[in-house]
Amino acid sequence: MRAQNSDMGLIVKTMARATIPLIGIFGAYVIAHGHITPGGGFQGGATIAGAGVLFLVAFGLSEAKEKINKNFYSVLEGIGGLVFLAAGMLGLGVAFFYNILWHKGPVFNGEAGTLLSAGYLSMMNLAVGLKVYTGLVSALFAIALFRRWKK
Amino acid sequence: MGKMSFIIAFIWSFVLWLVLTAGTKGMLWSAEELIAGSIFASIVAFSTRNIIGEKTTRFLNPVRWLGFVVYAMGPLFWGMVKANLDVAYRVITGKIKPGIVKVPVDLENDAQYTILSNSITLTPGTLTIDACPEEKALYVHWIHVTEEEPKTSEIIAGSFEKWARRLGK
Repeated sequence: MRAQNSDMGLIVKTMARATIPLIGIFGAYVIAHGHITPGGGFQGGATIAGAGVLFLVAFGLSEAKEKINKNFYSVLEGIGGLVFLAAGMLGLGVAFFYNILWHKGPVFNGEAGTLLSAGYLSMMNLAVGLKVYTGLVSALFAIALFRRWKK
Repeated sequence: MGKMSFIIAFIWSFVLWLVLTAGTKGMLWSAEELIAGSIFASIVAFSTRNIIGEKTTRFLNPVRWLGFVVYAMGPLFWGMVKANLDVAYRVITGKIKPGIVKVPVDLENDAQYTILSNSITLTPGTLTIDACPEEKALYVHWIHVTEEEPKTSEIIAGSFEKWARRLGK
């Protein structure tokens, strides 16, 4: 029965229920603090994608098919890229990727070392994190769906 | 499902955020960290509200948290100390008789099975291989089998089953 459903046993599932939110918030922490602590968009995005993989492995493909929407993930990945580009164009009056938010912006110009500092960097980290998470999860989900072992 | 699971997932993830960001304003948290934390915890909770489980509200009870602390620092820690010494003895003398035994347990829900299985696996010398709620049994790999068909989990897990039943109820 279990082999058909391609999911794990009770203990793995219960632990996954408890740890998936924790992995998600830790990844969000790594992304949000990318400009003040080690880590950043890619690292945090890959961490959250780990939670997605845990979900896929623990609960199986049939459950994941219900929860993972291809178009939604595709759109989010595009939005991540566009936000990154938009942050780069904010200071276009001076130069491409000119950090205008840091020099004279209304937000994200707090004291260095606090959360709301470093100009557009936290926006870019969030965008990269979103893009990496959605990209990795949809790639791995697509690989998991490709199941023609027999010739 | 629904609103309660969202709140549980929110609290669960927000607490981890608070642990990670403690010390941003003296020993406490700055306002921007708290706001960012609640936003991110909301996103995480909204995404995982259907995963975290249906009846997790019972884990909001502070008496149960106290129970977990007492269990981890008392019976579980003491059981691990004893089991480590026992395994050290078996490593030195080589007196082992490994085998897989079926242990009948009287548990009702997933959380109880998980707590008991993890406790058994954490104490060296025993390793839970599978939990079968439909048979009401755990399959345990045991380094030195003294009873091939145990009637209760007493001989393998000591008081762990009683604790797991209470903590996961």
